[in-house]
Amino acid sequence: MGNTQPRHHQIIIHAVLGIGAVIMVAPFIWQILTTFKTVTESRAVPPTILPAVWSIAAYERFFTSVPLWSLLGMSLGVLVVRVGGQLVLCSLAAYGFARFRFPGRGLLFGVFLVMLMAPSQLFLISQFDLMKSLHLLDTLPAIAIPGMFSAFGTFLMRQAFIAIPKEFEEAARLDGANSWQLFWRILLPMTGPTLAALGVLTSLYSWNDLLWPLIVASNKHMTLPVGLSLLQGQYGTDYPTLMAGSLIASLPLIIVFVILQRQFFAGIASSGLKG
Amino acid sequence: MAKGGVAAERRRPHSHLREATVGYAFILPALVGIVALYLFPLIKTAYLSFTKTGVFGDSTFIGGANYANLVTDPTFGTALRSSAIYTVIVLLAIPISIVIAALIAQVRHGATLYRIAYFLPVVTLPVAVGMVWRFIYNGDFGLLNALLSLIGIDGKAWVADPTVAIFAVSAVGIWTSLGTAIIILGAGLQGIPQDLYEAASLDGAGPLRQFRSITLPLLTPSIFFVSVLSVIGSLQMFDLIYVMIGRNNPALSQSQTIVYLFYQKAFVEGNRGYGAAIAIALLLIIMALTAIQFRLQKRWVFYG
Amino acid sequence: MKTQRRTARLLAVSTRAATMTASLAACSGGPSTSTSNTGSEQVTLTYGVWSQEETMQKVADAFEKANPDIKINLQVNPWTEFWTKLQVGAQGGTAPDAFWMLADHFQIYADGGQLLPLDDAIKDANIDMSVYPEALVNLFNYSGKQFGLPKDFDTVGLWYNKAMFDKAGIAYPTTDWTWDDVKSASAKLTDQTAGVYGIAAPLNRQEGFYNTIPQAGGEVITKDGKSGYSDPKTQAGLQYWVDFIKDGNSPTLQQMADTEAVAMFENEQVAMYYGGSFYAKRFYDNEALRAKVDVTELPAGAKKATVINGIQNVGYAQSAHPNELKKFLIYLGSEEAAKIQAATGAVIPAYTGTQKAWVDSMPDFNLQSFMDSTAFSVPYPVSKNTAVWNEYEMTELTKAWQLEESVADAANALSTQMDKALTEEKR
Repeated sequence: MGNTQPRHHQIIIHAVLGIGAVIMVAPFIWQILTTFKTVTESRAVPPTILPAVWSIAAYERFFTSVPLWSLLGMSLGVLVVRVGGQLVLCSLAAYGFARFRFPGRGLLFGVFLVMLMAPSQLFLISQFDLMKSLHLLDTLPAIAIPGMFSAFGTFLMRQAFIAIPKEFEEAARLDGANSWQLFWRILLPMTGPTLAALGVLTSLYSWNDLLWPLIVASNKHMTLPVGLSLLQGQYGTDYPTLMAGSLIASLPLIIVFVILQRQFFAGIASSGLKG
Repeated sequence: MAKGGVAAERRRPHSHLREATVGYAFILPALVGIVALYLFPLIKTAYLSFTKTGVFGDSTFIGGANYANLVTDPTFGTALRSSAIYTVIVLLAIPISIVIAALIAQVRHGATLYRIAYFLPVVTLPVAVGMVWRFIYNGDFGLLNALLSLIGIDGKAWVADPTVAIFAVSAVGIWTSLGTAIIILGAGLQGIPQDLYEAASLDGAGPLRQFRSITLPLLTPSIFFVSVLSVIGSLQMFDLIYVMIGRNNPALSQSQTIVYLFYQKAFVEGNRGYGAAIAIALLLIIMALTAIQFRLQKRWVFYG
Repeated sequence: MKTQRRTARLLAVSTRAATMTASLAACSGGPSTSTSNTGSEQVTLTYGVWSQEETMQKVADAFEKANPDIKINLQVNPWTEFWTKLQVGAQGGTAPDAFWMLADHFQIYADGGQLLPLDDAIKDANIDMSVYPEALVNLFNYSGKQFGLPKDFDTVGLWYNKAMFDKAGIAYPTTDWTWDDVKSASAKLTDQTAGVYGIAAPLNRQEGFYNTIPQAGGEVITKDGKSGYSDPKTQAGLQYWVDFIKDGNSPTLQQMADTEAVAMFENEQVAMYYGGSFYAKRFYDNEALRAKVDVTELPAGAKKATVINGIQNVGYAQSAHPNELKKFLIYLGSEEAAKIQAATGAVIPAYTGTQKAWVDSMPDFNLQSFMDSTAFSVPYPVSKNTAVWNEYEMTELTKAWQLEESVADAANALSTQMDKALTEEKR
């Protein structure tokens, strides 16, 4: 749709989008304002918009009760291992499914798809038992490993490989490239946007995961959501502290997102282009 | 999906074995993990669903008794209803996203800012999202009721009132899922050739007409993709109920979802066998709904 | 709060533990269970708790000092996920060596063979079990074996806001109060237009109907293991609470789901609150509240009663170091450990004679009332799989608390479901 409409069209569009954007952002603004209130003020009826006195006590309470840097480090470490592992594993498998013919391919791919539809809580106990028999309990790999294997990721990458015209491979094969070289040097770089999308989505899952890290690791391997959950137990009704904690825990990903938003969007968009 | 591809067929016959070997080699690492971490647990769960299994100790085979109980269990019925309500309401995010994506595509300035604003909830921790909204929904000192009182509406205790809690949670579900849908659908919009609109303009079609006869049909593949993922994700919802409703809430029994019920039975009440039956039933429901969507796509999805 | 230092410490301890687990894994089983101080071998025990980190770290430090060959690695997990994690760990053979246990979860673990019997350790250490309240000892005895040593206990008292009583011109509650006194006071204290209520009547077991049911002469579970909810006396104990909501003298159940009843009491929206002794520290630390509130014994219905419950320290049956573990558990039940905990005011230690330190730790409050209440205390009602019928209690009684069903209808429905669950768990 061209940019040819009259000016008042633009104003109406901005008004509609603006109202929507305010609804989207308002909870965050409210959260930030609450962090500077006292506990009593946060429960005032009717609520005050701006804090009567700006106080940073909630942040002090948060920082004294939560080892932020250790949580952050752990969350980040898990994210890197999980995303890295998943990108490698999923693209290898996806290439196999997309470009090779072998007995049982349809069945195996079907198995991958079924796993996509099962709720993750179902796997908790067996995955825990497996991590135990591998002597990995209470380690960073234990938190990261199950998330490295993804049916969704394989599906997404397979779509990306299928979309690449065969001519690229034929030409390279004539030049004597083997399957690995084809995959690594030619095809994988061409799936860049999908790879980025998968990285983005996996980062989100990894950052947000609560139950699995909690069950498989103990204090020294606590991730941010686990720390936040601990905070909720400790400060159940102290909304300023809870709001401060959840703001700080979400902030790293929000900052990364705002800086890399172009890549974020390109990646996520590419995941939906081929249904 | 079983077609091998042109390249494979052109190659010499004796390379079939070699091709299969290389193919297996590529999928092997992922396959090992999927089988050990996902397929095996799933098979075990399927087996457990036919047993009476407590938290510790042995399990006894009881045939289909868990499933028979499931059918007559009113809590399972209520959980199904809550999951269905949540899934249907969150699907409303798709039409809203189409409109917003279409509007963003038309602004001359500030498109990036809008995208960031709508996407923020996606990059926020679910635990944090739950806490913030619980606070906003508070019946006594919540922001929502304060705003409603300005226009003369006497609000409710949104997440504690059994009649509205699941709807309040679903609204948050929409709020968190708009961002991704807008981006995917927005990319779909960009993929629509500009000259189609120009030609339609020349034929005298107005913006609404263009939207109906060009934008929507060409967007259907993206809409299909988003709705399939939305249904799967919504039926697996657990976090929001866990954080926003929580235990000891009078609204819990009316608003717990299937996955929450599974968690309650398997982990709180220690009834692994019954929990397994709930999980398998949910998996079958998701598979059936996804299959139906794929079957129906021929009727409305337009692959140009 | 000194929590940060504690956390730093905790991390240091954990790191030490990690390097040691590696070396311990090499020597499997046998010799490392020796408790002699001569060997250079150090043993690490994990200790799973859900709160009181500072206090428990002090206890662990004191134990380590006396037993240099045993290190304690304190693991704190959020309350809501504590039991999920414990359950997965126990079935997988990796629960903490020592951990906190509550009566309503106890029997399923004892029955599943997950807990270390302590009878021989108690005998060897010459522990006189009469130093603990008898009701607590019995809660953790399963098929004739003792599995836990009481760590602390809690009874329930009537907390009240003196300032709000003064304002309404009513005399403060006394130990002579009965249900009728609470009813008339709550009506006078309530001012709905100001959003102020005389009392909070949450749907709460330990701080709510588990006290009023025995006060009315009823039972949650009968002696022969049946539901007591069809008994009219039990139902009277429920009706007591529902009446406050019906008369508008308590916030509604929904309001109390949004904002915990205890928070409403702290917020001075509620003048009276049936609260556990474990809230003493929280109210005391709230400086705005400290001077305004006090506590007394629960008012009598047909008779006086309070439910008694508490945390016990138990050991994991599959621990690699059962001897060191027993040593640690015996220490946790000792007078010394009790004194450390009493001094911080966190909880009432279960060891008789050490509680005075707790009572004295917060002189502004009449904490002696919690101690005196033990004279008429009844044990917290449990069965083998308490969680199942606890869920039914919530679902069915919610209907009565929301005034959708009569107490009799809700309680009778609950009784039927609960009896079914109790029969089921015996199979």
